[in-house]
Amino acid sequence: MSEALCFPSVEWLNAVREVFNTTDSYRGAGGGQCDCTVGLKVDDEVFIVEFEGFGCSSVQTGTDFELGNVDFYIEMPMSQWQDMLENISGNGHAIGEYTLNTIDLGSEEGIAHSKHGDQYRQDLFVRYNQTLQFFFDASHRVDTTFENS
Amino acid sequence: MAKSKPSKKTTGTPPPLEIPEPKFNWMNQSRQWGTRVSPGKSGLTLDSLNVGIYGEVPPRWTDQGRNPRGAIPVKGALPIGYSVTEKIGLWAPMAAELYEEAIQRRWAPATDVPWASIQALPDDVETAICQVCTEIAQYANVDIEVLTNWQHRMSYGYHEVKQFLATASLDAARRYEAFRKRALTNGGGLGLEPMDQVNRFLLESRGGWTETVAGIALVRGLFLSTMCEYLFRHSYNDAERAIYSYVIQDVSRLIAYGVDHLRYCMARDDEKTSTVATMIAIGLGLMARDLRDPVLREALAIVFGGGIAGARREGMSVFLDFLEDFRERHVALRRWLNLPGDAMSMPRAFRPREPRQAR
Repeated sequence: MSEALCFPSVEWLNAVREVFNTTDSYRGAGGGQCDCTVGLKVDDEVFIVEFEGFGCSSVQTGTDFELGNVDFYIEMPMSQWQDMLENISGNGHAIGEYTLNTIDLGSEEGIAHSKHGDQYRQDLFVRYNQTLQFFFDASHRVDTTFENS
Repeated sequence: MAKSKPSKKTTGTPPPLEIPEPKFNWMNQSRQWGTRVSPGKSGLTLDSLNVGIYGEVPPRWTDQGRNPRGAIPVKGALPIGYSVTEKIGLWAPMAAELYEEAIQRRWAPATDVPWASIQALPDDVETAICQVCTEIAQYANVDIEVLTNWQHRMSYGYHEVKQFLATASLDAARRYEAFRKRALTNGGGLGLEPMDQVNRFLLESRGGWTETVAGIALVRGLFLSTMCEYLFRHSYNDAERAIYSYVIQDVSRLIAYGVDHLRYCMARDDEKTSTVATMIAIGLGLMARDLRDPVLREALAIVFGGGIAGARREGMSVFLDFLEDFRERHVALRRWLNLPGDAMSMPRAFRPREPRQAR
């Protein structure tokens, strides 16, 4: 059995990327071509995830300053990330209150932000939402531990 | 009894047909031969073909035929009568990208929606969902009619926009299909046809495509998109969740085209800012009137509140949150487009109310 990987980390994101890129079903049904650079902010930690064509091409650590260069970034406290990922792990995909759409709507300021204020680029969160959901849904096949547990 | 006709079939080997010696004089007729575009990570995209003369998009397209951009036109052909012939009147720099996105991110209601996940619901909830489906299906019908009514007036020189709008029409057709299917699959049926003045406003918008875009994207599109996000959050099964999430993506492309076009157009024509702002004000005013009709409001409140009992407080509160979110998004887009007007200039139905409670 593969070793559990800690969220958040580049190793964990790479493992998710591998599952996402090799699962054909994530390319159909509202998924598919997606070109955007997404920031992930987990408490004070920042990661940059690049989507190109039909896959996720790279993940790397970033800084708060670099969030100014991404199309948009998803920001949630660690506890909320953990709740979402545990829901995905338990169900094979996010359900109920734990989809990106629902979390975004239920949050007063939303979870998708941009520093540049470019509406086109920020709207990619909505246009590519299913792909982003598929990406995080792919984490159900990654044995995950959390920093705080 | 009718007499049978004699067979024309002859026996034996037919005589050889006379084929004139080919001249091939249509060959070597190209404005730019030797073009070789290679696929990228997203495949061979429409946008990537805009190389050399094939990428020249002039400010005015004088050809009144169906000539594909870059081909050699027929001389003396009768004009077809396109009326949207200027780039400023329809162009959006991201149209080709949006077309490609629509094609590549397609879905099929018949097979991509887990219909079997729908279980029996209380009558009040099912009735409300069916009413909402009826309203959204009607919106889709209007979108199809508005988009196709303008599409055939647009010059072929701007094929990126025409092709994107073809996908937007298909998106609307698919939306119609999906919501009709949801209404007819769980013991309910279609409800009341909405009394919708925004529909008429969009259908009867004759002044120009840019003004129509303002209504279809910033008024109706944004309203529908926000409503689907709320319906997603208050959905009752995976089938509904799938429909709403796919539709949100589809509608967001139409909004993206609208915003991109308005930005392109208003940056080049100062007067457009005021006509677009006027169209939006009219559209919002009519939408506020439509919202006085209780049908959609009550149906949504029942869906959001889990039934008639929950509709009175929780459901209606969520409905008002939905209107606030629509308003905030609308104002954000206006601000980004440098359009005059803020939340307080919107009709009373959309103005800020007391601070909302934590959800």
